[in-house]
Amino acid sequence: MSDKRQKVFLELKNVSKQFPGVKALSNVSLTINKGEIHALVGENGAGKSTLMKILSGAYKRDGGDIFIEGSRAEIHGPKEAEALGISIIYQELNLIPGLTVAENIYLGRQPRKNGCIAWKRMFCDAEKLLQELGIELDVKALVRGLSIAQRQMVEIAKAVSCNAKLVIMDEPTSSLTHQETQLLFKIMENIKEKGNAVIFITHRMDEIFSICDRLSVLRDGCYIGTSDVRDISRDELITMMIGRKLTQQYPDRNSKIGELLLEVSEITDGKKVGPLSFEVHRGEVVGFYGLVGAGRTELMRLLFGADRKKGGTIKLRGEEIKIHSPKESIKRGIGFVTEDRKGEGLFLPFSCAFNISLVSLRKIRKYGILNLKKEKEAAERYIKELNIVTPSRNQKAALLSGGNQQKIVVSKWLFSDLDLMILDEPTRGIDVGAKREIYEIINVLAEEGKAVIVVSSEMEEIMGISDRIYVMRDGALSGEVKKEEFSQEKISDFLLKEVNAG
Amino acid sequence: MKRRVKASYLSVIWNRLGVWLVVIGLFFLITVTCDNFLSRANLINVVRQICVNAIVALGATFVILGGEIDLSQGAVAALIGCEGAYFMMHMGFPVWAAISAALLTGVFIGTVTGMIITFLRVPSFIATLGVQYILQGAVLLLTNSQPISGLPESFTKLGRGYIGIIPIPTIILLIMVVIGFFVLRYTSFGRNCLATGENTQAAVLSGVSVIKTKIVIFAIAGTMSALGGIILAARLSSGQPSAASDLSLQALAAVFIGGTSRGSVMNTLAGALIIGLINNGLNLLEVNAYWQKIALGAIIIGAIALDSYRVSKESQS
Ligand SMILES: Nc1ncnc2c1ncn2[C@@H]1O[C@H](COP(=O)(O)OP(=O)(O)OP(=O)(O)O)[C@@H](O)[C@H]1O
Ligand SMILES: [Mg+2]
Repeated sequence: MSDKRQKVFLELKNVSKQFPGVKALSNVSLTINKGEIHALVGENGAGKSTLMKILSGAYKRDGGDIFIEGSRAEIHGPKEAEALGISIIYQELNLIPGLTVAENIYLGRQPRKNGCIAWKRMFCDAEKLLQELGIELDVKALVRGLSIAQRQMVEIAKAVSCNAKLVIMDEPTSSLTHQETQLLFKIMENIKEKGNAVIFITHRMDEIFSICDRLSVLRDGCYIGTSDVRDISRDELITMMIGRKLTQQYPDRNSKIGELLLEVSEITDGKKVGPLSFEVHRGEVVGFYGLVGAGRTELMRLLFGADRKKGGTIKLRGEEIKIHSPKESIKRGIGFVTEDRKGEGLFLPFSCAFNISLVSLRKIRKYGILNLKKEKEAAERYIKELNIVTPSRNQKAALLSGGNQQKIVVSKWLFSDLDLMILDEPTRGIDVGAKREIYEIINVLAEEGKAVIVVSSEMEEIMGISDRIYVMRDGALSGEVKKEEFSQEKISDFLLKEVNAG
Repeated sequence: MKRRVKASYLSVIWNRLGVWLVVIGLFFLITVTCDNFLSRANLINVVRQICVNAIVALGATFVILGGEIDLSQGAVAALIGCEGAYFMMHMGFPVWAAISAALLTGVFIGTVTGMIITFLRVPSFIATLGVQYILQGAVLLLTNSQPISGLPESFTKLGRGYIGIIPIPTIILLIMVVIGFFVLRYTSFGRNCLATGENTQAAVLSGVSVIKTKIVIFAIAGTMSALGGIILAARLSSGQPSAASDLSLQALAAVFIGGTSRGSVMNTLAGALIIGLINNGLNLLEVNAYWQKIALGAIIIGAIALDSYRVSKESQS
């Protein structure tokens, strides 16, 4: 690896791309070496995914040149990208839910025997592949039944399986926990050792500094610069990304914890979750930390009425409530920002305004008639407050960048103005600047006397914003940590602790 | 570079006007090829002939937007037309009472269909196929497969009369279009309908009552079918048990030609107009009815293919 004459694998020169109303890329030049892990960073909507989609042939560029190993390349589609040795993991997962893990991994290139799919070999190959990579998954399981993190691991396996010379990973870690991220890093190191390159997109600073060799920054579709990771500090990098200094990632909280708002006791779904009990006060931000699969999302779904609970009681404002559907919980004042924005949060072909107002139609309605002016005002307010990059409120949600889509989902629930807000991985895929904005909003909610539950797999984040943290493990609460006692060790201890039966 | 700009300019026009461009184009094409197309009598004929189909198709629009399909609309229309006639001729109902009762039956059938789909979880394709057969049987029982004719003039006016130079059915259609447009754009139900059809899971989690929405959708479809059936009976001056056999599919054709991916009330109207214009043009050119069917089929396929092409281009550009 000490070869100093590392050769260039990929060179982009003056690549531009224009969408109706959006200049997504202007004259971006970039060099990727063989055997390096190259971070591509920038705010939401900076053009990272667009650039990568040009490399994978999903988009046509308007101008500029692409050179691969010194010769000019035209990439018109995924097949050509593959032939050139490029494979990509898209930001939005693209697996087919009705097929098995193995079929998804080998989609379009299944091993064949006499023209038929060699099923046995395919399952065998897939199993070997997953084992090599250290991913624990049943290759015959349907993707439909997998969690987002598991799906992400399948995508990773799929991208790695074709032995590409350049693997592009567009925010693969946004839905992974620490452990899985470590596993991914090992996989990335492996690719690097073979002399192949990785382009790695992430909004998590620590990941850049722990795994990447070099990094390049995009801002507003323009190339800002490239640097060795060793030569740059975190603050310098943030300044490069957002064009100004960000002094403090987590805003100060001076919490005024009020009366008891939510009291959950012995709640269970009879399968994976519980029975467990906890409580949340007004003005309080309560974090739920745990590994993927710990049952946090399932617990929140029970609370929200998206799934039926099998036992236990929920008391809101001191009164027991029986919730059978999300509609009822919303009426009672509970909101839920879901983790899977594409599947459960967004209506992709419809406008930002449509998406933002859907939960709160009652607020813009008079005598049963929607006041589109009020809708417009609300949409514009949130687009401004959360810095959502979009040409207008009428833009289809599908055409926004991933992080901006996430902001739309968050806006939808902010607008609903409910008493108890459950946020499941609210900063997934959101850039550093916007994360801070969301934290500030969480603070404001708490200060207004609302209660916030945050589910997060990022320990730093959850310690930065919560007043209290519940650690979850195997569907049960393994510990509760107060703000005064916050520390990585304490929380990790609970993560590992066996939950006492009984 | 120039060409790019021009192309996007065209695509803006296409996005604004969409399928109405096709209506305008067809209009000119037929004007040029057929001499008597532009005569007042013929034009009125066109707008009168599309009414039943367009009204039923408005109902189908809501169903399609809500992510379902309704194959029973033609059967509902036939039953309701005959039922109205039956009430008037055999039970001595006054015209208004017969119409109200028949319309209510339409609402009822639609609601029940919606309940079968949501509560019994029968996919709409199958549920409405079943309902279609049941209603077809019912109308034959009711009429003994004989037309019920001799309807009073105050009733047939609905299908044959004019206000000024505009046919009454056309006026009813326009009122329905305005209401449909309004409901879709300015009511929570309209939003819920779009949300449910696009992403049911996300709709549920956004507090949309998907079950209620779907039942209302089918109730609307039932109502529009019933209205279509009444106008049809009025136009034919009789309740014809076999009159509307093709109506479900014709209505769906209008919706799809109007453009599913951007489905809206106005597009459906355009779809119905396109079908009407083509039929009229081919009639004027004295092409026989069998060929007209073939043309219609080809146009449906062509319209959808064009739409898919456009969508895939859009996502590439
Ligand atoms: N198909 C499209 N049509 C129109 N605009 C688009 C399209 N795809 C992306 N854009 C716009 O181009 C800009 C760049 O988007 P891109 O997805 O590349 O951002 P990104 O850097 O990946 O952001 P994120 O960190 O949020 O994923 C955004 O403003 C986005 O709204
Ligand atoms: Mg992106």
